Amino acid sequence: MDYYFFIDLIQSLVDGLLFGTTYALIGIGFTLIFGVMRKLNLAYGAAALAGTYVGLAAAFVTPLPPILVFFVSALGSGVIGYIVYLGCFRYTPSSHPMAALLASVGMLLFIDELVIHLSHGMPYPYPSVLRNAEITLGEIWIRGDLLFVFGICVLSMVILYWLLYRTSLGLATRAVSQQPRAAQLCGIPTGQVNALTFVISGVLGGTAGAMTAAAVGVLSPIIAMSLTTKGLIVVVIGGLGSIPGAIIGGLMVGAAENVFQLLRGVTERDIYVMLLLFIFLTLRPGGLFGNTEGRD
Amino acid sequence: MKLKNFAAASIVTMMAAMPALAETTIKIAGFGASSGVVGIFGQNSSAAMQAAVEKINAEGGVTLANGSKAMLETEYYDDRCNAEEGISVLRRIATTNAAIAVGPTCSNVAEPLFGILQAKVDDAGDTGLQFPIFTDVAIKGGLAGISEWVFRNTPSEATMYDDLFAWLRATYPDTKTIFGGVEEDFAHSRFTWYSVMKAAAEKHGFEVVGEGQWLLNDTNFSNQARAMRRAEPDIVAISAHPFTTCGMLREMDRQKISPKVLVGLTSSSSLETLTGCANEAEGLIIPTSFAPVNDAAKYAADAVAAKGGALDLHSAAAWENFMILRDVINAAGIEGTAESLQSDRRKIRDALGALDTVEGLLGTNKRLPDGEAVKPYVFVGAKDGGWAVVHNPGS
Repeated sequence: MDYYFFIDLIQSLVDGLLFGTTYALIGIGFTLIFGVMRKLNLAYGAAALAGTYVGLAAAFVTPLPPILVFFVSALGSGVIGYIVYLGCFRYTPSSHPMAALLASVGMLLFIDELVIHLSHGMPYPYPSVLRNAEITLGEIWIRGDLLFVFGICVLSMVILYWLLYRTSLGLATRAVSQQPRAAQLCGIPTGQVNALTFVISGVLGGTAGAMTAAAVGVLSPIIAMSLTTKGLIVVVIGGLGSIPGAIIGGLMVGAAENVFQLLRGVTERDIYVMLLLFIFLTLRPGGLFGNTEGRD
Repeated sequence: MKLKNFAAASIVTMMAAMPALAETTIKIAGFGASSGVVGIFGQNSSAAMQAAVEKINAEGGVTLANGSKAMLETEYYDDRCNAEEGISVLRRIATTNAAIAVGPTCSNVAEPLFGILQAKVDDAGDTGLQFPIFTDVAIKGGLAGISEWVFRNTPSEATMYDDLFAWLRATYPDTKTIFGGVEEDFAHSRFTWYSVMKAAAEKHGFEVVGEGQWLLNDTNFSNQARAMRRAEPDIVAISAHPFTTCGMLREMDRQKISPKVLVGLTSSSSLETLTGCANEAEGLIIPTSFAPVNDAAKYAADAVAAKGGALDLHSAAAWENFMILRDVINAAGIEGTAESLQSDRRKIRDALGALDTVEGLLGTNKRLPDGEAVKPYVFVGAKDGGWAVVHNPGS
């Protein structure tokens, strides 16, 4: 193994782990919604992207510092998350689980097309912070902007944990997730909890979209499909419904992607990531931390 | 009395409307990707077609076989850069009164689409569609040879890049090495790097010191940029579309990679690249068959802008196609009736096939026997948020 290869391997791993936090955030969004409603929201990636565009649009209207652009992106995505909830989940009969799933597929295509139509499919520069900063450890570079992305994603996860385990809203969310009928009997407004879960997931998705665009420096509708696919892979590997699983899964996918790209090239990279997905689906269908307990 | 007035007014109105009703229109369909992630190409082509039709009609339209005048009309059909949809769209266009179609946008649509046309004219054993197509955007080399019903007005990338690397050799004599970056999953980008740019660079004495590959929707370019940094190339050539071109340029900037010369893909000499990353693209040199360098080109650019589009090497071809078709229709003696539709299509095909040269926006375009074109071109460079001509081989 030559020296440069070893350095490249470490560098790929570091970059992959840092960037993997965006996958983790997307995975958490998928898993939160699934945990509470036991339904997959396939429009999630597209809603995250649309929210990211909302932040950019705000920056076009009035010049904003990057942090505010990220914040508006997250909020925009939260609002779109709520609209997705109303459009695809709130009124679809729970006796037909496929209805909500297919409605979310329709919403995915609709949002995607709307974003492409409004943006004319053009790539737009997206602000980033610490773009030219770096930490050098010998031959290894740690990108300042990726470190920022990593920091924001970790901060979002900490806030989410605080929200889920230290607030009454979190208690209600966990109650609905574990025993929805019992939670309802205890007076917890399950409809409101579901709606709030979509908003919180949307905010996380918007943050992930903003961080992805900030890391690339360019925002394009092309990102939507990648966010959706990566998010789904992350939740399968981490275990649907498990937040720690989504975090570990996100970091794993980010690292695996970069390392396989180095080892096998870009054209084979995704084959190995999909192989990883296949292995989990066949040998450990519940994922790393999948909840095997049933609920009422 | 009131009824009489109403009847009189109705008769006058109907008589006034009669010439308009009797007016013949010749339809030229446009098709390509006007939605989806490459939708901007189709939107620009559509705007160029509308602007061209408006100009032609304002100048009196086209002349039919009986000497009467006909107006042109156009309608743009969306194939979303998808081969199946492209084939379906063309079959639909063929059932309308369209005399010819201009399109498609994507080479991955053009290749199978041309395959459903009759390969050789008058081949009774070939039941392929007999419908003329005059391609504006899909640029992958050599596709017109698939069918004699296909004509293209796309520039020859092989010629342009050959000339570009010859010019680079002469202009930057101290440059010796080149690194290629390629969007591996997009037919045009792949073809242009591996079959065009790389071959031209090697032919003119540049040593290829490395290649970096990525995919159309990739968001991380650090591995490729690291390899590029280590190779220390004098020239970096990026054969990719604007989103990943911008992503890669930003990563190069981040890793402080500053080659002496940056070369880009023809399709990136557009507004998109400058919108996405004007600062990082500064100095990027691209050969293109369109730049607003003369009065005709400036007029066309303004007319298309008024229709909400932008004129670049692709949409300029759409404009040129309509101007060429105006002259072809005038010369072909078509009748413009429902009964003559198939023979009109054939006449237009034959007239297109008989052309040796046509006038384009940058000068005379040569028409080749296989339906391809040789177009004048210039080398543009990104400068201060716009494209400026850095060299005009024709001047």
